[in-house]
Amino acid sequence: MVEERAHRVFEVAGGDLGGKLMVTRRTGRAVREALEGALEELPKGGILYVDTRGVELMDYSFADEALGILVSRSASGEYGDRHLVLVEEDRDLLENVEASLRQRSLAMIRVDEIGAEPGIVGKVPDHLVETLQAIYDAGSITNAALAARLDLNHTACNNRATRLAKLGLIHRRIETAAPGGRQYTYERIA
Amino acid sequence: MSGVLTMGSLDPAFAAAIRVDGEPVVVDLRTVEFVEPAGLCALAALLEYLCARCEVVDLALAGRDVPAYLERMNFFRSFGERVRTNADVASLEDRRRHNPGTLQELINFHGEEEIPGIIQRISEILENQGYRLRERVAICSTLSEVCANAAEHGVSSFGAYAAVQAYHHIVSGSRRRGEEVLIAIADGGVGVRETLSRNPEYAEYTATDNDALRHALEMGVSATGEIGRGGGLALVAGIAARAGGSLSLRSGSGRVTVYENRKNSRNVPEFPGTFVRVSLPRTPQESSYK
Repeated sequence: MVEERAHRVFEVAGGDLGGKLMVTRRTGRAVREALEGALEELPKGGILYVDTRGVELMDYSFADEALGILVSRSASGEYGDRHLVLVEEDRDLLENVEASLRQRSLAMIRVDEIGAEPGIVGKVPDHLVETLQAIYDAGSITNAALAARLDLNHTACNNRATRLAKLGLIHRRIETAAPGGRQYTYERIA
Repeated sequence: MSGVLTMGSLDPAFAAAIRVDGEPVVVDLRTVEFVEPAGLCALAALLEYLCARCEVVDLALAGRDVPAYLERMNFFRSFGERVRTNADVASLEDRRRHNPGTLQELINFHGEEEIPGIIQRISEILENQGYRLRERVAICSTLSEVCANAAEHGVSSFGAYAAVQAYHHIVSGSRRRGEEVLIAIADGGVGVRETLSRNPEYAEYTATDNDALRHALEMGVSATGEIGRGGGLALVAGIAARAGGSLSLRSGSGRVTVYENRKNSRNVPEFPGTFVRVSLPRTPQESSYK
């Protein structure tokens, strides 16, 4: 079972910084700083749902500054073991988010609404897509089980899943396994 | 000067302006019968250039339509005190009326912080006029990205000018049936080639102004070279091209126009700054005019 993790929803169109028209890097920077504050308040393992459904327009500059840089920093470990999920429907607005993340060779998990089936926005290397899908299908799976499912050796499987964890697309748990070993378990984040 | 004031029709004036050195100047627009936003913004940039170099600048206009249009577009609000004209501007002010095609009068801006307000206003106008969300997004994204580029890279004493106009016919190329929105921005900054030249990685792409313009339209090309930067212009050009329109970028002595299937380059007279003109035709199924 996937453990229930702390989460918070950040509505981009709401609050002081919000609005239906999100344009310019300057506005994007202000929103990113607010998102960073919300992320840092979450406990480790927590999820920040970035809900952009109330936004009508998000230009590329805003999308890159608010989300592209945020995901980039998250992938470099700046926010520790905390995750980002975009809450947005499949509409034109995603194009600029997609373009920004692709430029940065990054990706985010996206859901139409909280609890809905997850998808991807951005760029996930082809060889990782199958691994990602298998983890999401399982919900939670150990490295050994995942390796068996994908017909990979344990090291190759661990390398792929570790890359997905660093991209912020899955949660990785390390458990001590007898005798004196470690067992990795990978979990979907949405 | 031909009957239509466009960015390109001012090329002879740009060429002559570079040689001006303090003497009185007359900008003769008496043959102009129609002014499009790119012509208006280019004229504003030209007059800013001339006003900084000579004490007396005269603007010669003919008839009532062109002076009335300039007045409606707030042109004389920016230049009424600095440029002499034969047009009776005071009488035009009395006749002032709203033109539903005017989506953004000539506006002068200096910083990125002014852009959200500009976008908010034009978005409301577009919504009130029945433009669909997708059209509003295309127009507002174009305006915000190009204005942001001007504010960031086009720093100059006068900042930048923008104007947006909607037409009930296609004005780009040969006049024909359809609807079109034209967006124009002009700044007086150092230009695209010099901006890109700050990044040594682009040395081979900045030999000429046209080389630099073509490269600036590629995804991910920016002065700083930071990942994630330099996407706005490429995406805006893509929006215009997909809509069957175009994006023209003029800077230094180069001019590049991007269409759906091709890019045209040509050499133009050297002039400071960067001008952008975007044509966004409205397709019949998206048009919601009554």
